[in-house]
Amino acid sequence: MTRFRLIAAALALALLPFTTPLLAQNGPLRIDITEGVIEPLPFAVPDFISENAPGGEYAQRISRVVAADLAGTGLFREVPQEAFISQITAFTPSVDYASWKAVNAQALITGAVSATADGQLVVKFRVFDVFSDTQLGEGLQFQGTTNSWRRMAHKVADAVYSRITGEGGYFDSRVVFVSETGPKNDRRKRLAIMDYDGANIQYLTNSSSIVLAPRFSPAGERILYTSYETGFPQIYQLDVGSVSRVALPVPADSMTFAPRYAPDGQTVVFSASQGGNTDIYRLRPGGAPERLTNTPSIETGPSYAPDGSQIVFESDRSGTPQLYIMGANGGEPTRISFGAGRYGTPVWSPRGDLIAFTKQNAGRFHIGVMRTDGSEERLLTASFLDEGPTWAPNGRVLMFMRETQGAEGQSALYSVDISGRNLKKVPIDGAASDPAWSPLLK
Amino acid sequence: MKTGTSISGLGHITLIGLAVFGGVFTHRPVPPPEVANVTMISEQEFAALTRPVEGVPPTIVPPETVVEAPEVAPATEPETTPAPEPTAVPDPEPVPIPTPDPEPEAQPAPAPEPVQEPVTVPTPTPTPEVLPAPAPAPVPAPSVAEPQPSAPVSTPRPARRVASEIAPPPPPDAAPAPEPVAVAAPTPEPTPAPVETEPEAEPAAPEEATTEIVTEAETPSETAPAAPVVTAPVTSARPAPRPARPAQTAQPAVPAPEPPAPATPPRTAGSTSTASSDSVDAALREALESAARQPDAAPVVAAPSGPPLTAGEKEALRVSVQKCWNVGALSSEAMATTVVVAMAMNRDGTPDAATLRMISSSGGSDAAARQAYEAARRAIIRCGAAGFPLPAEKYGQWQNVEMSFDPSGMRLR
Repeated sequence: MTRFRLIAAALALALLPFTTPLLAQNGPLRIDITEGVIEPLPFAVPDFISENAPGGEYAQRISRVVAADLAGTGLFREVPQEAFISQITAFTPSVDYASWKAVNAQALITGAVSATADGQLVVKFRVFDVFSDTQLGEGLQFQGTTNSWRRMAHKVADAVYSRITGEGGYFDSRVVFVSETGPKNDRRKRLAIMDYDGANIQYLTNSSSIVLAPRFSPAGERILYTSYETGFPQIYQLDVGSVSRVALPVPADSMTFAPRYAPDGQTVVFSASQGGNTDIYRLRPGGAPERLTNTPSIETGPSYAPDGSQIVFESDRSGTPQLYIMGANGGEPTRISFGAGRYGTPVWSPRGDLIAFTKQNAGRFHIGVMRTDGSEERLLTASFLDEGPTWAPNGRVLMFMRETQGAEGQSALYSVDISGRNLKKVPIDGAASDPAWSPLLK
Repeated sequence: MKTGTSISGLGHITLIGLAVFGGVFTHRPVPPPEVANVTMISEQEFAALTRPVEGVPPTIVPPETVVEAPEVAPATEPETTPAPEPTAVPDPEPVPIPTPDPEPEAQPAPAPEPVQEPVTVPTPTPTPEVLPAPAPAPVPAPSVAEPQPSAPVSTPRPARRVASEIAPPPPPDAAPAPEPVAVAAPTPEPTPAPVETEPEAEPAAPEEATTEIVTEAETPSETAPAAPVVTAPVTSARPAPRPARPAQTAQPAVPAPEPPAPATPPRTAGSTSTASSDSVDAALREALESAARQPDAAPVVAAPSGPPLTAGEKEALRVSVQKCWNVGALSSEAMATTVVVAMAMNRDGTPDAATLRMISSSGGSDAAARQAYEAARRAIIRCGAAGFPLPAEKYGQWQNVEMSFDPSGMRLR
C-alpha cells in the first residue's frame, strides 16, 4: 500500500510541471467565423459635380445611371439622397467619413463632369471605403463624347463594381435579341440590339422573315443568327457596324441552325439536319463543314469552352435530351447531366467554371447551372416557360427568355444572378426572346 | 524481499522525482511570477480604469503610409487604362448612333491623355490625401498613448454592466418566490403573479436583441441596456471579488466600480490575507506607474491575465462579428477564400483599427484575398465600433485577437 502511495505521489509530482504551462495561456484569442450575412452593400452616390456649365446637363444623369447600374445587380443598395447629412461640393481626395458612416454608406462614389462646346465629355470619379477611412484605388477619368454619356456612366459603374467586388463588371455591354410583335399566331420577329439595361434599342433586320437565336462573336463585332428567309432555316453572319450580312457556306440542301462562334472568333459550330438526322458540324475559315458527331440521334446546341478545347452540347442518344461534353475535334462525348427531366441549350460560362442550361421537368421549365463535370446542379428559376440562358461578360449574371401562359402570353427577357437572387425583368417595350449577351465593350 | 523491494522502490522514486524536478525546476521559476503579474495587472487596470482619460487612439499611420505608396505607383496604371479605352471605343460602336462618338475620343485622346491625365489629375490628388487626413492626427497618439487609452476606456464599461446587472437580475429571482406563496394562498393569485414576472423577463430579452442587432456606432447608449441579460451573470460574479482587494488598500478611484462589491464575501477573504494584499497593492502601483511611463511595459504585463474565455464568451464575440460580416458583394472566388485577420483590442472592447491586418489567406488569388479581407475588416470595424461583448477582467486573454473568416459554407445559399 505504502509503495503504491509513494509511487502515485512521485508520479503526481513528476507530472506537476507539465500542467503549469496549461494554466498560463498566452498568444492571441482565436475565433473562427463561418457564418455571415448576405445582404446588399449600402452605397451612396451624391450627384456628380459639374465643373463647367455644359457639364451640368450630364452630371446628374450620369450619377443616376451609375447608381442604377450598381443597385440593379442586387449586390448593392443605394442610400437615398434625402438621408445624406453631408454634401459633396468639391471633387477632393478625402471626404468627411464620419457623416457617411452615420448614414451607413459603406461605399461612397464621388465624381465630376466637364463638357466642352464641341461635344467632348470628361468624367472623373473616386470610390471610398467609408468604414476604413480610405479611398479604394486611385481616382480615374474617362473621356468621350456627350452622345456617349450613358456608356461613360456604365464604364464608371463597371470600375466601381470591380473595385468593390473584385470581379469584372458587365454594365458597358449590349444584348442582341429577337424583338417580337403581334399575336402568337402571327408573330413578327426582328433582330434588335440594346444596352444591357434595355436602353438604346436599335433594329438590325426587318420583319419580313422569321429570325432566331442570334449569337455574338467573341469580340462583339459580328452576329450569327438563323433566318427562314429562304423557306427553311439557314445561318447568316451579320456585321454589326455595317448591318451587312452573308450566308454561311454550308450545304444548301440541309437545315442549319444553333450556330455559335469558337473563342477564336472565326470557327463556327452549328447543327445541320440532313435526312431527318441532326448532327453537329464545325466550319473553319476557308474550309468545308466537318462533322463532329455521327449518331442517329439528335445532337444540337453546341457551345465552346472559353479555352476552345471542349464543346458542350445536347443529345437525346440516351432517350431523353441530356448534356454531353466532347473534345473540340469531336470524339466520344461524356454525359454530364443525370438529373430527372430534359436538359437543353447548354452555354459555357465565360469564366469556364459553370455551364448554364434549360431544364424541363414535371411540367415546368428551369434555368440552371452546373459545374463542367455535371456536379452541383442548381436550378435558379422555375416558371411556365424559361429558356435560352446567356452569360453576362463576367459570368455572374444570366439573361434568359420567359414566356407567360395562354394565348395572351408574352415572352420577355429576365436576368438572374447565378446565386438565384435578384430575378428581374429587363425593361423593354414589347415582347422579346432569344437574348445573347455581348462581351464587355472596349 | 519486501524491505529490499521497498528500498529499491523508494530509491527509484526519489531518483525519478529528483530527475524530473531537477530538469523542470529550471523552467518552473518562470510561471509563478507570471501568474502573480497577471492578477496584479487585471486588478489595477480594473480598479484604476478612470485615471488617464485620453481620446481613442486609432492610429492609422502604418496603413496610410502604405496607402500613399500604392497611390503614387498606381497613378501610372490609371493613365494607361484610360488611354486604351478611348482607342477601343470606336470599334464597338457600329451601326447605332454611338459610332460617331467613339471615334473622336480615340483620335484626339490617345496621345495627349496619357501624358496630361497623370500629371494633372492623379498627381495633385495623392499629395493632398496624404497630407491632410491621416498623417497629422493619428500619428502622435498611437506610439505614446497606447497603454493609457486602453485603461481609461475600460472604466465606462464595467460601470454600465454593474448598473444594469443590479436592477434586472432581482426581478426574476423574486418571481419564483411568489409561486410558493401561491401554493398556500388560493390558486387564482398565483396565476397573476407568474404573468407579471414573465412580462418583466420578456422585455429584457428584446432589449438585448435590439441593441445587438443595431450595434452601429450610433448606439453606445443602447449597449448599456443590452448588457444586463447576457453579460450580467458573468461580470457580476467575477468583478466583485477583485475590486474588493483594491478597496481595502484604499484607492479613491475605485468607488464607482465597487458598488457591486457590496458582496461581503470577497472582503472577508481579503481581510484574512491583509499582508499579502498590501504587498500586492504596492506591486500594482509600481506596475501602474511603470506602465504609464513605458508603453512597452504594458503588453508584457497584460499578456497573460485572467482565466481563459468561456465558450459562451467566445460565442458572443463570434456572433457579434458575423452579424456584420456581409459576403453578399464578394466575388465567387473571394467566396472560396479564407482569410485570417489579426488585430489588437482596446480595453473597451473596440478593435484598434490601425492594427488590423491580414495574416494569411488560402483558397484564392491575392486579389480575391484582398476583397475577402476588406469584407472582414468592414465587419470588424462596423460591429466593433460600439465595443465587442468581452469581459473586461479578462482583457489579457483577448488583448490580441485572430479571426478566421471562412465563407465556404455560405457559397450555395
